[in-house]
Amino acid sequence: MLFPRYLLLVLMIMVTGCDDLYPSADDKREPVDPNTIGSQPGQIAPDFDLTDTENNMVNMFTELNSASGIVLYFTMWCPVCDQHMSHMRTQVIPNYPNVKFFIIDFVSATVEESRTAQENNFYTDLTVLVNNIPQNVLSLYEATMGTTVVIENAGSHGIVRMNEDYKDSVKLTTTLDALP
Amino acid sequence: MFGGSFNYEKYDGYWQSDGTYVEDDYDLKQLRLNLGYAHRLAPNWQASVVVPYVWNDNEYPGFESSSSGLGDITASLWYETFDNIMCVYEVRGIEDLMPAIYLGGTLTLPTGKSPYGGEVTEVFDITGRGFYRLDANLLMDKTIWPWTMIFEFTYGVYLERPVNQEWGDYVEPYDKQLGNRRLGTVSLGYTSFLKELDTMTYTLAYSDLKEDQGTLNGNTDPTTGFTKRSFTFTAAYATMAKDWIVKASINHSPRSDNWGSDFPATDIFTIELIHVIP
Repeated sequence: MLFPRYLLLVLMIMVTGCDDLYPSADDKREPVDPNTIGSQPGQIAPDFDLTDTENNMVNMFTELNSASGIVLYFTMWCPVCDQHMSHMRTQVIPNYPNVKFFIIDFVSATVEESRTAQENNFYTDLTVLVNNIPQNVLSLYEATMGTTVVIENAGSHGIVRMNEDYKDSVKLTTTLDALP
Repeated sequence: MFGGSFNYEKYDGYWQSDGTYVEDDYDLKQLRLNLGYAHRLAPNWQASVVVPYVWNDNEYPGFESSSSGLGDITASLWYETFDNIMCVYEVRGIEDLMPAIYLGGTLTLPTGKSPYGGEVTEVFDITGRGFYRLDANLLMDKTIWPWTMIFEFTYGVYLERPVNQEWGDYVEPYDKQLGNRRLGTVSLGYTSFLKELDTMTYTLAYSDLKEDQGTLNGNTDPTTGFTKRSFTFTAAYATMAKDWIVKASINHSPRSDNWGSDFPATDIFTIELIHVIP
């Protein structure tokens, strides 16, 4: 019975670094300098240009000038993304007419591919921007699937107010309610 | 008893919340190596552990990623409610129709990489769900040679946990619990005897999986939960002494509406080798 003992030992070593075995409720967020440009809540939102699926160039700051805020949602056209986007479309967007919502597709390589994905997934009523054309906004905002970013219009610039997973949208709506 | 299996799972679209099937051409694959060990604790009791290692290989037109890591380890304890062999060659009385009933419990440990641990920065790194889960298992098996019918039901409960980071970044802490999970499977198998009484068994199974909506800070999270229905065909070769068993299987869901919701459509190919130590 040596093999099971060695297996147990190896397993213990392998799982030692697993955060999920000992989940923490401690708030470990670091304070951010509000005068710096970055992706974290409280920082000045980095400006960007992206092409939408109708071949229009969209500039973040230009869009922000005509809204109280902007919401970016990063999609890879997956089931979880669909749950989030479907919920956002019906439960959130109608309640915030002064906020602009943009879906950022970070898995399509071309505008045409992104448009096809948008149509196949039945989201032609939303504005979809194509990551990497020309800027890598996924990297700029340290985002991944489901990341939802809220940028507040602070006059001369934008301020990141939220940057985390969409979840049940409660944090999103709370953040949007607090916009000026 | 030692066992090892190798899964190859190929993504092929997904089902939306209303059951609409969405096809796409993304090349997403997952390989899993599962190593298992089971030990007979007493005549009717058996304990087992399965350790998976996962490789993710994803290719989108504008994005590629490969990653690997330990998956979620499971530990199980099974109790056999019968003392005698329950399979029969012919039915002579009502007692011959009694199935072999197994009762079990399974604990899933969140040893994989999840969105809530510090090792993951993007979705493609995930190899586990990040939650402890307890499953209660019921398996009823009736074999009247050469036919075998199995009914299996599993009810799983995820334990609530605090979350203070997502994708490697710390966030405002919250409590999260995934929804309860139900898996029902019925299968019908046919066994043919080969030379020297080795056997080949062919099994067709139908499974129905449902995970309820989870909660965030005690409130229902409407963006969680899923369903999936699938078929599995298995061919298994066993030696006469049943000390070596080789299985090959394919799991498939029809690519049409209402065979799932909020879940990827995949095909899963599995090769499994089991060795029973006398």
